[in-house]
Amino acid sequence: MMNQQNGLTIAGLTFGSRFLFGTGRFPSPAELRESLAESGAEIVTFAVRRVNLEHTEDDSVLQHLEGKKLTYLPNTSGARVAEEAVRIARLAREAGLGNWIKVEISGSPVTLLPDPIETLKATEQLAKEGFVVLPYTSDDPILCKRLEEAGAAAVMPGGSPIGTGLGLLNPYHLSLIIEEANVPIIVDAGIGSPKDAAEAMELGAAGILANTPVAKAGNPVRMAKAFALAIEAGRIAYEAGRIPRKRYASASSDEAGSLFAAGPT
Amino acid sequence: MSKRVDWEKIRLYVITAQDAHPGKSVTDVMEQTLIGGAGMLQLRNKTGSRSEVLEQARALRVLTRRYGVPFIVNDYPDIALEVDADGVHLGQDDMSIKEARALLGDDKMIGISTHCAEHAIEAEREGADYIGVGPVFPTNTKPGKAAVTTAYVAEAASLVSIPFVAIGGITTDNADAVISAGAKRLCAVSAIVGSEDPAAVCRELLYKLTAADRAEESSNANAIANERETSGHKAEENVTLSLNGSSYQTRSATLDCLLAELGQRDKRLVAEVDGEIVPRSRWQETTLADGLRIELIQFVGGG
Repeated sequence: MMNQQNGLTIAGLTFGSRFLFGTGRFPSPAELRESLAESGAEIVTFAVRRVNLEHTEDDSVLQHLEGKKLTYLPNTSGARVAEEAVRIARLAREAGLGNWIKVEISGSPVTLLPDPIETLKATEQLAKEGFVVLPYTSDDPILCKRLEEAGAAAVMPGGSPIGTGLGLLNPYHLSLIIEEANVPIIVDAGIGSPKDAAEAMELGAAGILANTPVAKAGNPVRMAKAFALAIEAGRIAYEAGRIPRKRYASASSDEAGSLFAAGPT
Repeated sequence: MSKRVDWEKIRLYVITAQDAHPGKSVTDVMEQTLIGGAGMLQLRNKTGSRSEVLEQARALRVLTRRYGVPFIVNDYPDIALEVDADGVHLGQDDMSIKEARALLGDDKMIGISTHCAEHAIEAEREGADYIGVGPVFPTNTKPGKAAVTTAYVAEAASLVSIPFVAIGGITTDNADAVISAGAKRLCAVSAIVGSEDPAAVCRELLYKLTAADRAEESSNANAIANERETSGHKAEENVTLSLNGSSYQTRSATLDCLLAELGQRDKRLVAEVDGEIVPRSRWQETTLADGLRIELIQFVGGG
């Protein structure tokens, strides 16, 4: 019997969990740590910022993650053009955090939607420089293909704008992207609840990147667990194969032998 | 004079040597050098047919335009014209600078390899835009040619006013000696294109050049300060930096001291000086000077 789930493989590394964990906006470092443990995630993302010189105590997120076997996926949030994203990527690599980078280049401060042209440019450049590039992008099938061709190790279309929790606004596009892809497609941004995560996984997404719906939940630790279960359930469902949709009902039991069917007269 | 070229930006000049990287295309390898910060490229192909050289020149012209970097062709003024290269590079045994100038006009650069003081002086007089100074060390690119040593580098630095590029057997291991002798610009061939990671070698060489700049600036600054002190003025000991976008005054002499002063030295952070990342291992040797832009960066929660 086939009940063995395959792992998520990115750039030659295989992960048991398909949850990519965002570390921002948790109520406390303790809840961050516990949520991360409950999520089972093996890939964590975080941002690069100037040191706050007013505070000498270590407010870096990394101190809370030390001693865990994690793959670091620093992001380039705050970058407005490719050049800035490339600079952030190099800084992160210099800090000894490995060579993975989530390209995130906002084209609008209101929607935080990614700038597709700059994202493509940065992906191309960073892939050439030997980075494992995971671009956060809009859910455009052609663009996602172009990112793959530019050397992205995985492509991360958004379900809806960052932090909105609106879920998958265009599941049709996401399914086209997944169908066409030769690299893992990870749905990033806009996920509101485990239901959205399960939906994306059933469509065939290779993984989910989520932050706000866990960090800002009433109980982040419980919510992290709920996401872990939903992502796993969605993946198993995808591998098991769902039924086709039909317009009209079809009964679960055969009609033959029904007590009320018109029998032979 | 040097046409359309900003020599301030050209510190590292890289020349092709396709035999040094079997299995990798010239364009791919040269693009890696541009990623690493090469400021000027030269196509040197002594063995290929004219049509092969022309094809490579076309490809490298497209590539160097993309990176906004001057492109020079060795030996072939006609190909340089055909692909609209920025100039040609000549050897002492090739056509004269005058002949090349007649073919190329005033808009193209002409560079020439020189091996002694007379060559250098003559090149400047004849209207060369830059000279190569070397081979500084014995090299496989030009076997059998005696090394001129760093003595000629020092000589060239005082003899000519056109830019000169030290060349010949330069590697990351011996570059410091060449820079100390007075070279502001380095050219390397096999050490770069023959390496597994040409971009990294370029970055390392550029780092050595800019570190030397900084040391020179700070020693100039010290000389000025000493002069003030001995001439009775009050010594200005504070250094004013731009730190994470704000003006900051410190008496710390090095980056390492500055981070200790800020209580940040033991954090997992990255330091950038004038846009270049300075690894922790170099904090102690990085001296501070007025006007340096220092950025301290760390990692915070995010999705």
